[in-house]
Amino acid sequence: MVQQLANGVFAGSIYALFAIGFTLVFGILRHLNLAHAAIFTAGAFAGIELAVRFDLPVWAMFPAVAAIGAVLGVVLERTAFRPLSGRDDEHFAGLISSIAFGGVLIAVLHARYGTEPKSFPQEYFPNRLYEIAGVRVTLTQIVTLALALALMLGLAWLVSSSPMGRAMRAVAENPGAARVLGVNVGLVTAGTYALSSGLGAVAGALLALNLGQAGRGLGASIELIGFAVIILGGLGSLWGAMAAGLVLGLAEALTVHWLDSTWKGMVAFAVLFAVLVLRPRGLFGHVKVREV
Amino acid sequence: MLAGYDTLITTIALGAILAYSFHVVLMAGQLSLGQAGFAALGAYVSTLIVPTEPLFGSLSPVLVGIPVGAAVGALAAFGLGLPVLRLRGVFLAIATIAFGEMVRVVITNAEWTNGALGIRVEKWVTVDLAWAVVAVLAYLFWRLGPSRTGRAFAAVREDELAAGSMGVNVVRTRMTSFVASGAIAGVYGVLFAYFFGRIIPAAFDFGLMLDGLVTAVVGGYLVYFGPILGSGFLTAVPEIQESLGLEAGWIHPLVTGLLLLAVIVFLPGGLSSLVTRARRRPRPPEPDLDALAALPPPPETGTALVRLRDLGKDYGAVRAVHGVDLEIASGDILGVIGPNGAGKTTLINMISGLEPPTTGGGDVLGVALGPAGGAHRFAQAGLSRTFQHSKLFDRLSALDNVLVGAHPVTRPTFLRRLLWLPSARRDERRAHALAWAQLRRVGLDDRAGLRPGALSYGDQRRLEIARALAAHPALLILDEPAAGMNHVEAADLAELIRSLADDGITVLLIEHNVRMVLETCTRLVVMNFGEVIAAGEPREVAADPKVVDAYLGTGETGENEYV
Repeated sequence: MVQQLANGVFAGSIYALFAIGFTLVFGILRHLNLAHAAIFTAGAFAGIELAVRFDLPVWAMFPAVAAIGAVLGVVLERTAFRPLSGRDDEHFAGLISSIAFGGVLIAVLHARYGTEPKSFPQEYFPNRLYEIAGVRVTLTQIVTLALALALMLGLAWLVSSSPMGRAMRAVAENPGAARVLGVNVGLVTAGTYALSSGLGAVAGALLALNLGQAGRGLGASIELIGFAVIILGGLGSLWGAMAAGLVLGLAEALTVHWLDSTWKGMVAFAVLFAVLVLRPRGLFGHVKVREV
Repeated sequence: MLAGYDTLITTIALGAILAYSFHVVLMAGQLSLGQAGFAALGAYVSTLIVPTEPLFGSLSPVLVGIPVGAAVGALAAFGLGLPVLRLRGVFLAIATIAFGEMVRVVITNAEWTNGALGIRVEKWVTVDLAWAVVAVLAYLFWRLGPSRTGRAFAAVREDELAAGSMGVNVVRTRMTSFVASGAIAGVYGVLFAYFFGRIIPAAFDFGLMLDGLVTAVVGGYLVYFGPILGSGFLTAVPEIQESLGLEAGWIHPLVTGLLLLAVIVFLPGGLSSLVTRARRRPRPPEPDLDALAALPPPPETGTALVRLRDLGKDYGAVRAVHGVDLEIASGDILGVIGPNGAGKTTLINMISGLEPPTTGGGDVLGVALGPAGGAHRFAQAGLSRTFQHSKLFDRLSALDNVLVGAHPVTRPTFLRRLLWLPSARRDERRAHALAWAQLRRVGLDDRAGLRPGALSYGDQRRLEIARALAAHPALLILDEPAAGMNHVEAADLAELIRSLADDGITVLLIEHNVRMVLETCTRLVVMNFGEVIAAGEPREVAADPKVVDAYLGTGETGENEYV
């Protein structure tokens, strides 16, 4: 039981890391970026290639993956979102164009890495096992949790306290006013995508490190859970996404414990559905009232 | 020549049917993505309850299954719609995706569905049958477009608040599109089962949903044949690639993705906008005085149209409107003035049913003020309004905007249009006559084919008035109609308002152009901090020191320039 809970926390930390990138873009730019899962997958493959081909140690691999993710994020923003800005159907069209970008990215991964899953080299990361208070945890899990927490707290600090974060919050409130006040909205938008995608890519590499391998479906497997996390946490709320990631990880672990692993997928959606019907703003979000 | 392509041609038909189930919700602006779940339910229920042998010797299971699938899908959509249709946009999308996933997980785990292994059935679907279904759907949507119901869909898509204020029952329209989508998806599920001969839960996943959505959008959801174009196009890509000898599996998704990106960025209306780009300019019909004359006469002068008692509205701790007692009688031109934030717009939002009052009550044209969501009931009772920030339907032509306005005084034509009944044609012609009459009245009949975005600011405001007039209102509410107009346009507008009064229309006018208000109105109400501070004959009210103090102010000489 306690073991299951611990596993739930580790899974939840990856969900949360995936979801904060998702929710960051929504919170600031009101875009639902459906290419996020593809970037997550790309991060996993990039991590594996860096490890296999360049023998990059773990501490250098993650920053490199984050950089690759950030570049992809900027490309995504330039090709799939910026051309649509100002159009009547901007948000809806962005949904579709991000699906398209995600599809293209996955096809490129397919072309480069083939159909078989790719693995990290044997012994790439010491597979040490610890026992803490009767719970067995691997070194990978500890690193995952620590890295995820550090990145999330770092992001929260960045958004709340840095000049870049202030500009981002200004754009979130009112892009037009932010522009008039001298905020470079284009730069902030690109920066938001870079941050979000960098985090998403690192989350992908972390999950791949936990699993030992990555396939093209890696992102799709987590995408729907990502939806559940961001809704549960309240769309656009960073702290909400972090908490909701952990809650869902735990809920899934408990379902596996009590029911069966095939029902795992149900939990996230049942919770999501209930939250949407009963409290659409999520557990931590707040609503904006439409004006006439 | 087509022999050997049966599978391909049927695949195009199936893709188009799936896309139609998205088309119908996108038409009404609802991002509902639960179709994979409806399709799964339709497919499983029909394969499980329809006998595997042809009924009566000749009726194939798929023909029995189609109505079963449609009914199952429609019922499921209705049941899902009750809780989730309160949601909008992204929230609705995610809730419906969650529904689809839950259906899949349940089917995977249930006994009666044979779990992940799925069910085998005979392959009964032929090319002819699949295309017959597509033809029926295309026909339905072709007849729907220019009908009253089709315009209601478009209005809800463009702006729900404005649609409700034009008498469109927004809740019912959204539910209709939702249930229709469920029915079409259910039919798709049945055809899918009897075409591939096997159903497994994994077939009805997120990927299927994306395929349908992408096909509907690539084809274009503003035109009835969009799904067929989209499906033909997306199915042709891998075929062309194969015939070019490009075998690699990644080329297809790459090309599809790039094309989709190109379509969405460069062709906002989808592929069908290539076909329909050359639009005919609508020609005005001969003025039809009979249609106008046949409308019911305005209420007798002096009848109380609006009675408000102690009406109030709080937003949290903010008292937007407080203790308003007001009566508006037929024939009045009532001006409401006051500083920004005085509660004028909140007041008329309550009168037009967009916001429920927190305290007090009243009735408007016989409809009691109550919970929100009833704006269409007020519109049907004879209230019509414009908005402070214009809320025109951006992707409809000026003429279509005004046609939506005629909603309360026209009858539904969709079902009769399906049967080509002459009475439907007569009703549509009458609706056009009413719309053109109002376009002429505000002087926009030469710009009827343009979209609002192509009109000048003043023309947009006048178009909104024409739209409101097409409802043949007893009470017309104008929220700052002269804002942004120059003084020539404002004078024309004042002239128009007076002519409306001559026709017996009661007008409630909110305006900051005080001179215009004083010249046009027969009564004046002044609001400040949510309360009525003065009411009565315009000149007297304008001379009231409280009003001068709160709003009008004095000129350079210290004199009140409005008395």
